[in-house]
Amino acid sequence: SSHCVFSLSSWSLCLTAVTVPAGGAPVATDHKSSSPRVSGRSRPLSDEAEEPSPFLPPEVFHKLQAEASELTPIEEASRLNQKLKANYEARLARLAPGQAYQKTSLTLSLQRQMMENLIIAKARQDAVSFEYATIPALMLDWPKQWKAKMKKNPDVSLVSNLVSYLLRPARTACSTQSVKSFSTDSLISPSRSHNLIPKYEEEEAEEPSEQESMDRENSFEDLEQFQDESHVQELEKRALKEHLKAVVKDVHIAIDQLLSLCLLSFESLNTASFKDLCLASIEEAFFTPLWSALVAYVEREEAYETSVKLYADASPGDIGIPLKLFPQNTGSPQGSYPYGSAIQELKLLIHDRCPQRKLECIGESDCVVFILVYTKAEFWDGKLGADDLLPILSYVALQCQCPQLVSECAALEEFIHEG
Amino acid sequence: MAAANSGKTYSFKVVLLGEGCVGKTSLVLRYCENKFNDKHITTLQASFLTKKLNITGKRVNLAIWDTAGQERFHALGPIYYRDSNGAILVYDITDEDSFQKVKNWVKELRKMLGNEICLCIVGNKIDLDKDRHVSVEEAESYAESVGAKHYHTSAKLNKGIEELFLDLCKRMMETAQAEERLKGNGASQSASSRRGVQIVDDEPQATPAGGCCSSG
Repeated sequence: SSHCVFSLSSWSLCLTAVTVPAGGAPVATDHKSSSPRVSGRSRPLSDEAEEPSPFLPPEVFHKLQAEASELTPIEEASRLNQKLKANYEARLARLAPGQAYQKTSLTLSLQRQMMENLIIAKARQDAVSFEYATIPALMLDWPKQWKAKMKKNPDVSLVSNLVSYLLRPARTACSTQSVKSFSTDSLISPSRSHNLIPKYEEEEAEEPSEQESMDRENSFEDLEQFQDESHVQELEKRALKEHLKAVVKDVHIAIDQLLSLCLLSFESLNTASFKDLCLASIEEAFFTPLWSALVAYVEREEAYETSVKLYADASPGDIGIPLKLFPQNTGSPQGSYPYGSAIQELKLLIHDRCPQRKLECIGESDCVVFILVYTKAEFWDGKLGADDLLPILSYVALQCQCPQLVSECAALEEFIHEG
Repeated sequence: MAAANSGKTYSFKVVLLGEGCVGKTSLVLRYCENKFNDKHITTLQASFLTKKLNITGKRVNLAIWDTAGQERFHALGPIYYRDSNGAILVYDITDEDSFQKVKNWVKELRKMLGNEICLCIVGNKIDLDKDRHVSVEEAESYAESVGAKHYHTSAKLNKGIEELFLDLCKRMMETAQAEERLKGNGASQSASSRRGVQIVDDEPQATPAGGCCSSG
């Protein structure tokens, strides 16, 4: 959408600029003539003489190269990529049917090479426009240093440090622009979480969201004469919902882009666990300033609050938990009732700012319940089933007494990220 | 007869089973909340949804367990299909393996629950018919051979889903009425108090609305 409150595109652009050297700006200059990794064209893609060569005749090639030197780095890279693609297609045509694996690996290596060429070219172009001499050597060296560090000792904290290093400029941009425009009054729904919204200063009068809502009000002036206030509110709510949808989509796209940039730049991160870690670190940077504003959109808390009040003094039996699944530990100190740790775990969810970690809290909480139930002999006799878990989970949710839980879950549903 | 009384409500439990990524959650979300999301979110363990219907003047409450399809969750199957009145076994028409998986579920359910449970075999994703890998004839004849009914659906295009659930409800109601008749004749004393249908008197909803899965 054109008036997205998050300046996501500028953010990811910003990151592109940051990560680009990671792809290997120095590599491009160092290995220009020798590295087959970078200059894919020197790869002996076709060695059989009898096959029609996918390569251009040498004289044409040199001519093209000479021309290419007058092109900008990016133009040059896209030419190179066209050639790579032609080679790839020729090789593909020669593959016997059933060589799906080779096909996949060819496709992947083509994609990687093309991406690398573009990233390198972008870095070269940036380097030209930035004036090379003014960039401290350190700045071009850091990806190398990180790579070396990671080779030596690829641990958890290193990855999150790396991601936060990568996101540094982006985070500044995010906190100064996006949050401010997101927390304008027009965007805040009359939810219970209202008071959770951080009070960011609103200095800029020309905020796009504010303007937008004013325009809308004007255009509905005629309508207002015929319809009461609630109708207008209804319309506004719908417009805001559409707006949120667009924002959610943008966030997903941006996170995807950031993640793939990280993984492309630092190949050693491309394992399941490091990928999760990268994602968590990116999410944390993203959502820390935004989450409470996002949660404010959801308005399903009242039903929960009513239930909490209604069942405040209810016994587990009232909620439908059979006594055998709610053992009373006589003599135990007050507060250490069964499922207490499940309740505690669920409460932690509210304090986390990263969707992935929030999800883990729910998982942990459920796990505690399941373990308690699964250890019952009746479970293994087949006398207990998932239906017996429902009242317990309801009990845990009610005992949490956090109305935000409902909004949190709804917002989580929007932002669960699956690659 | 009790079941014919409009003051009574049928409560049925339905379980969705099938391989991962075939669209079980999409089917249920389309049915219960008329939502569809292209983005895939893996179900962990299971989720629980409810739906209220009115079929030829009779009220029906559906309790639907949508289970995780990934193999690592297979062992948990019994805790979800236990006491079910109906099972919806879903496969992806573009994925032959997922159809084999349905056959395994049929065997397991027939073995564990006998013939009381109404089985539906559902070929989902018919919007991708050009990539179909399970033939209509094969699927339909298999379903017939095991006493199941076969349906084709697309959660994306909202096709066939209302029909699927409505048909299943009607079949479960018939089964329930037959059971009622038997009970009325004193011919059968249900062994398990929880097996089969619970026909409950109308009363205000007692379950808390706080569960994150309860449909609004």
